[in-house]
This record gives sequence, C-alpha cells and structure tokens, in this order.
Amino acid sequence: MSVSWTPVALTPDLPPGGAVPVRAPWGELVVWRSATGRLSCFPERCPHRGMRLSHGFVRGEMISCIYHGWRYDTAGQCRKIPAHPDLEPPAAIRVHSYPVAEAGGLIWIAKTLPESAPPETGAEPLRSLVIASPASAVTEAAGVVPGVPGPVSLPDLAAPLILALQDMGEETAVHALITPADSAARIAASRALEAFRRAVEAEEIAA
Amino acid sequence: MILYDYVLSADCYAVRLLAALTGQRLETRAVDFYPGAAEKGAAFRAINPAGTLPVLVDGEVTLAEPAAILMYLATGTSFAAEGASAQEWLARSRHFAAALGGARQHDMLEVPGDIDALRAEGSLWLRILEAALFEAGEEGCGFLLGDTPTIADIAIFPHVALAPDGGVELGAWPRIRLWMRRLRALPGFIEMPGIHRLHDLKPEPGPDYGGAAA
Amino acid sequence: MTRDKRDEWYPVAIAAMLPPARGRDTLLLGEPIRVRAGDSGPQVETAEGRALPVTIAYGHVWTCLGTPGDLFPIPEAAQPGRRLVDVGMVRVKCSPLRAVENFLDIAHFPFVHTDILGSEPHTEVYRYDVRIRDEVDEVWATKVRFYQPQAAKSAEGGIETEYMYRVPHPTCSVLYKTSPPMPGEWDVIALFVQPLTEELCDVWPWMALYDDASSMAEMIQFQQMIFLQDRSILENQIPRRLPLDPGMESPTRADLTSIAYRRWLKRRGYTYGAQLVAA
Ligand code: FES
Ligand SMILES: [Fe+2]
Repeated sequence: MSVSWTPVALTPDLPPGGAVPVRAPWGELVVWRSATGRLSCFPERCPHRGMRLSHGFVRGEMISCIYHGWRYDTAGQCRKIPAHPDLEPPAAIRVHSYPVAEAGGLIWIAKTLPESAPPETGAEPLRSLVIASPASAVTEAAGVVPGVPGPVSLPDLAAPLILALQDMGEETAVHALITPADSAARIAASRALEAFRRAVEAEEIAA
Repeated sequence: MILYDYVLSADCYAVRLLAALTGQRLETRAVDFYPGAAEKGAAFRAINPAGTLPVLVDGEVTLAEPAAILMYLATGTSFAAEGASAQEWLARSRHFAAALGGARQHDMLEVPGDIDALRAEGSLWLRILEAALFEAGEEGCGFLLGDTPTIADIAIFPHVALAPDGGVELGAWPRIRLWMRRLRALPGFIEMPGIHRLHDLKPEPGPDYGGAAA
Repeated sequence: MTRDKRDEWYPVAIAAMLPPARGRDTLLLGEPIRVRAGDSGPQVETAEGRALPVTIAYGHVWTCLGTPGDLFPIPEAAQPGRRLVDVGMVRVKCSPLRAVENFLDIAHFPFVHTDILGSEPHTEVYRYDVRIRDEVDEVWATKVRFYQPQAAKSAEGGIETEYMYRVPHPTCSVLYKTSPPMPGEWDVIALFVQPLTEELCDVWPWMALYDDASSMAEMIQFQQMIFLQDRSILENQIPRRLPLDPGMESPTRADLTSIAYRRWLKRRGYTYGAQLVAA
C-alpha cells in the first residue's frame, strides 16, 4: 500500500508558508509549502529533541522547528542551528524527505516514489473533513476506496462529488472536489457532505 | 480602564487581544485565580459579586460578561458588530468555552469533568465553526462576519487556539487553521501561553540561506 | 550510585493549600495515592490504606512510596528577604524527565518565550561549564549566560542574565538566576515534578525571589505564563519518553546540561519515564 500515492490535503488548504501534520500509514509526518510554492514532506520528529515540525514556521524556502529554531531546507538538510549561529550544521543532521506531488487539486504523498504520477480528478477543490469512522465504513457508504478519487452521488445534489479518501486508522479524511459550480452550489455540496458524515457516523454507532 | 485579569484565562486573553488590536491601553490587575481562587474571595466579590473573571472597570462602568466586555471595547472600532449573526457567535463562544475550556482545565489544572464528553462537545463546535468558515469563504469572507475581523472572531478564537491544551488537536481543520493564521497575522496581535508567536512574519536574522537552497 | 525510584521523595500538594477532607486522589509512579489534611498535618496513603511518609519542604508536601533518605537542601529557602512563591500544579502529558530536561534548556528561549526570556537575533548559547558533582551526586551547570528581553516580573528592559542550573533529584531541578532588583544575589526558581506515570506528570514550580514590587498574583502568573509556554512543547515531543539512547537525538554543545542529566540518570539507574532503546 505504500508504493502508491496517498491524498493528504486539498491544494488551497496548504498555501505558501503553511505546514500541516499528516497521519500516514507509516508514521506521523509534516507537509509544508515554501514561500515560492515548493512542497516537502518530512517525518514529524525533529532530530534535535523530537519536537513536532508541523508546529514550526516557514521562512522563505526553509522550515524551522518551533523549539530551538533548527532550520531545514526543502530537501531536509539542516542549514542553521540558532544556538550556534556561526556553525555550518554537519551533513548528518538531516531529515528524510518523502515524495510529495500535486495533481487534480490534491496534495499527495508516498513512502517511496511510485511509478506513475497521482491521478487527475478533473474537478475543483471543495473542502476536506474528517469522519470519525474507519475507512472501511466510509467506503461502504460512498463506494470509493482510499487513495483512488471517484464520483459519489449524495442526496439532493445535482451532480456527483469527487471524493478522495485518506485512511487514518480510526478516522478517515475525505477530500471532496466538485465540477465547477457557483458558490450556492458549493455551499449546498458542503452541507450535503456534512449530512453524509453524520449518516456514516450514525451507522457506525448503530453497528 | 482596568482589567481584572488571569494570565491563563482564554476569556481574559480575548479582552487583552481586542484591546491590543484596537490600540487601547488596559491596566491589568492580576487576580490569583489559580491556585489561590482569589476570585471567590470577599475582596474580589466586592468588585464582582459573581466571582468570575474577566472584569472590566471603566469609570462608572463595570462589566463582567466576556461578550459584553468585547462589545464595550469594540465600540467605535472596526471590530464592532451588531445584529443576530454577531449575537449568535457571541453566544456560541460560551459553548466553546464550556467544552474546549472545560477539557483544558481538566487536562491542565486537574479540574474534575467528563473529559471524553467535553472533547466530543468541543469537536462538535469545531465542526460548526469549520463549516461556517467554509461558507464565509465561498462568499469571499475571511472572517466569521465579513472580510474584516470582528468581536465574533475574537470571542471564539482563544478557545479554539487553546483546544490542544485540552487534548483536542487542530491538525484536521483546514479552514480553522487558515482563519487562525489570518488572525495571528493581524497588526498588533498578541499571544498568550499556548499560542506561539508567528515567527514566520519576522525575517530570518543574519545571512539568509533561503534563496540559495533551491 | 543507584537508588530505587520508590525511595525518592516526590511533591504531591502545596502545604498551604491542603485538599479538604475528601483529599486529592492522584498517582505516584503509577500507584494510586490520596493526599489529605489530617488532624496533625498532611497525610498520604495508598489505595490499600497504607500510610506513607510525609515531609514538608519548599512550600510543598512530599511523600515516598519506599524508604526515604534526606530531601535535597535548598539553603536559599531560609534566607531573609526572599518571597516564597507557590506557583501551583500544572499537568503535562509528557515524561517527568522531559519536563526536567526542558527546564535545563536555554536555547529555546527566543522561540518559545519570545520577547520575555529571549528573542531573535540573540540566539547564541555561549560556552558554559557542566559537571556532575560526585560529592553531592548532583548535576551542575554554571556560567550560563543569555540575553533576555524581560528576565523576570521585576525586570525592566533587556539584560544579559546569568544562570546556574542544578539537578539534585531525578525529577527536580533548581535554577539560580541574576536577580534584577538585587544584582549581587540569585533568584531561585525550582521545578518539582510528580511522576504520575512514565508519560504523565504534575509539575509544581516554586520560587524564592527578591522582589518587593510585584504582587504575589503577578509573580505566580509570570511563572505560569512561562511554564505554560513550555507545556505546549512538552506535549508535542516524539517520543513522549526521554530517549537515553544517544543515537536517537542530535545534541550540540548548547545541550551539555541535558547530556549530563541523561548520563546521570543512567548512572543512577533512574529510568522511569525514559526510553531505553530506539523505537
Ligand atoms: S527539537 Fe527541533 S530544534 Fe530542538
Ligand atoms: Fe522554557
């Protein structure tokens, strides 16, 4: 499962300068975007004292850890240790960098570089939400499997939404996309999605 | 203006924050809420018989409800908001405070409570906020009531930003994250413990390796 | 020398604010205990009703699950002119050892205690001395200097502050820092940590300060503000336990105190809250 792409966010939800925590099947990660728009994906754990890098801050093309300010470039190499401003950090101080890609309005990550690019969706980002049910329950209700965006028809909506599921164990993130629509239709779609979430979670409790 | 204040209170922070954002000077008087429970003592009850914080005293005016204090400070500023939608959010801020604030007091200060129920209730309100921010965004608005921040945002923000103190993580709420970022980037914004400085806004000191990395 | 963790004293309450009759139900090293005000002072007992030894020192009630020795001395506590400040308990989801290690660290000041204990660009940690004083079996760091925008409630403007750090107990640390109103003297700030489990602790900060200007509430809240800034770091370190395996984290010269602390813990065999092998 780790040789394929996992969708982790919608493109507009991670603008330049942002960093978000991501729960991947193989561990906790941070995905961040530099000022010029480059995406990077590292393990959450800062090699210095283990602080979560998603709490850090992005300046220019580097992310800094919030604890002691160690600064990492987009490839994961530590470039600055503020406690020792004149020290060139040793090459050994670096974090692993995972493949990350942007396609079809989604941000995707992978443990190792898959052979093919992530799929296009032909739709525009709507919104992401988390359902407090395992992916199997969401798949059963929606008819799409994690990692493969597909059309899902929801009650009261004229056109199907494209849903990309992200398996997070006990919970499932749903990244929803929509064919171009006006704001009224997009708001209606968001409300339908909320209703879908309530239905899946209620089903869980009943089961 | 005097603010009777407790440094770890989310509602006191909302008042300090609004004053800072609107350039008003507050004289703060620290009340030993914890561990001393001084707000329940006779001396403080002479100021506020209800025994709660924050309390704002401005000449003849004494206010002890967080929403009322925010309205008072916002008068005549761009943060002022009236009407039913503003009232809706000001009232909702009490639910955020009870649930997320309750979880925070439980996890941090050993205050008794049903922690699972508090967190579940807090997550429900975060869902409502996330959906509202999405809908506002569709209308071109970055804040709850429009394209500029108001007391509605200020009343809600502290409880949300401090939710992790009570074990409610904010990783999975993209619109809330972006909204908090916008608020934290406002000129005059101040922090409180649990909400870190947005260091990204400051340039990197010294030789900047930024450009060379690419 | 090694010593069983059960033979150490641990803080469990503020002596001046004893929990009323019902008492405080809490944990010590994973064992349920109850602390309450008895007729002749504080009492602590286990779930089975076994009475535990009690001592009162530095504003706190201390207890021990095994056979206690002497509690470490803080001679400054008895000096006249100091104000003794019970800051109150703050619970943190982290290893008790991580809480102590963070207290020993200065390099985080500009990023975590921004514009109070540190600020960019003053991020450099200068050389300082660290050693394990075998005569007293304590870790000491001396000649620690750092630029601080507002070092204490009583400080006005930035000063270069000097510190000494001392670890006399696996879950307690005492810090001595330049007293802004009394430049020749040291303010004392201590961190007493009650280990509830290996990944959960109650932290009881305590201070003995030269400060006649601030109210008690102001001094308490200054310290609460500082410690709550640390709490959001402590709850987000991975792993939650303190790694004693040197290969797992990357210390630098600024971390000499933490390196000595970890070595001292190993030597004493105090591994409650430690991660021994890389996960
Ligand atoms: S833990 Fe990241 S810089 Fe120290
Ligand atoms: Fe700190």
